Amino acid sequence: MTNRFQAIEFKDVSLAFDDRVVLDGVSFKVRYGESKVVMGGSGTGKSTLLRLALGLIKPDSGAILIDGEDITGYTEEQLMEIRQKIGMVFQEGALFDSLSVYDNVAYRLREQKARESEIEPVVMRMLRFVDLEDAADKMPNELSGGMRRRVGIARALVGSPKIILYDEPTAGLDPITARTICELALKLRDLEEVSSIFVTHRLQDIEVLASEYVVRDDYGNLSFEQEGDKLCLVNTKFIMLKDGNIIFSGSDEEMRNSRDPYIRKFLDNER
Amino acid sequence: MNLIIRGIFQVQEITLLIWRVARGVFRPPFYMRETIRQMDVLGFGSLTIILLTGFFTGAVLSLNTGNTLQKFGVQNVAGQLVATSLIRELGPVLTCLMLAGRVGSGIAAELGSMLVSEQIDAMRSLGADPIKKLVTPRIVALVTMAPALTVICNMIGTMGGLLAAISFQGQASSVYIASAKEAVTYNEILGGLIKPTVFGFIIAIIGCYKGLSTTGGTVGVGRSTTQSVVVASILIIAVDFLLSKLILSLLL
Repeated sequence: MTNRFQAIEFKDVSLAFDDRVVLDGVSFKVRYGESKVVMGGSGTGKSTLLRLALGLIKPDSGAILIDGEDITGYTEEQLMEIRQKIGMVFQEGALFDSLSVYDNVAYRLREQKARESEIEPVVMRMLRFVDLEDAADKMPNELSGGMRRRVGIARALVGSPKIILYDEPTAGLDPITARTICELALKLRDLEEVSSIFVTHRLQDIEVLASEYVVRDDYGNLSFEQEGDKLCLVNTKFIMLKDGNIIFSGSDEEMRNSRDPYIRKFLDNER
Repeated sequence: MNLIIRGIFQVQEITLLIWRVARGVFRPPFYMRETIRQMDVLGFGSLTIILLTGFFTGAVLSLNTGNTLQKFGVQNVAGQLVATSLIRELGPVLTCLMLAGRVGSGIAAELGSMLVSEQIDAMRSLGADPIKKLVTPRIVALVTMAPALTVICNMIGTMGGLLAAISFQGQASSVYIASAKEAVTYNEILGGLIKPTVFGFIIAIIGCYKGLSTTGGTVGVGRSTTQSVVVASILIIAVDFLLSKLILSLLL
């Protein structure tokens, strides 16, 4: 039976590469409009979760549901359909080197054989959203790390997917650029009601995602507000992975109050 | 994993790749533009080295055999000897060995870099099939361009032989050309085209397989590139022997 209330659902998913267990019976859900922030050290299976959700690799056991559909046994052709619902932001942007920024963002629409007259407004709107309208004609090697990630976000947003997967989009960036990336994620969460999995190990990202939200006033102006008396954020939840297992799942307050030694060490080291 | 099991595993993987290409080659979407671009990059881009290889191979062949033929008093068959050697053997093998070095390595390096920088995953996430988009156009391009380049190599090689025969053996051009014409039969040409078609396929499939199975970051890309050249070159020489036997018994 399909569950139409969850954008993403992992049911007892396990995966091993040769003898190395990467995920061991992982289960969690991402509701519509919810952001799930996945944390953990290197090699704990964070990026693998995203690749599984996108159907790029298959689990050894368990089930993965996207928008209520069990994609575990799907063929590559069936997965193509599912991937139309998902946008993925890769760690280093994963832009196509031989294509300009414009062509990178237009890639999905060109694959769908859309007409050029339909493609241009969509691409420019997406580039405007990430504030890179002027970089449309540049090649990826002319962009800074932060710009590459923003182009990656613009490319992932084409087709208005209701699910976005972020694979450490702020890794290796300076705090200001990382903040810009997080703000884009907040805008998508709060204004577009996009469901997402945000993989990170940076505490600064967690601070922004857990405590800020975006509001649009009557004139269309956007402002970033702090969680407090006016509003308590319930659309962002956290998961901590360790050795392929989920050792914590809950809100940021619960995580900060956790006495688990690994979580304490993780939070204190990152601070 | 020991060597034998790894070898069997690789054969299985290559067979699966061929199967996936064959299954999708007649199904849309067709990337015609990309295929033509690959023909230009892989085929036309290799023209200079093929011209040089062909010319000097033909010239040196004529030079080396000229004296021996003279001893037996049959120097008038130099053209036939050069043309036959080129059409049957040297043209296809040398052209495709050069292609394996220039093009096969390029394919492995390009696809390997795309894999380690997650561009292949990005392609799949954006609804494109990397087999159709990357592998099939390269295979089609090489299967069509390798025979075309071989024909050019044969022609230029025969001309190189002619120049060497005129310059160093003092042979009349009409004698050389008349002799060379005798070598050019339909069956010879057909046999000479089968080989580069098969070799082109080998170069493309090995280059794509090695590129798409790259592991270990940039070091892995270098390893895949080297392996693609080595494996394709060895396969070309081994398959050449089998094809030569087959063509000799069926066509010549």
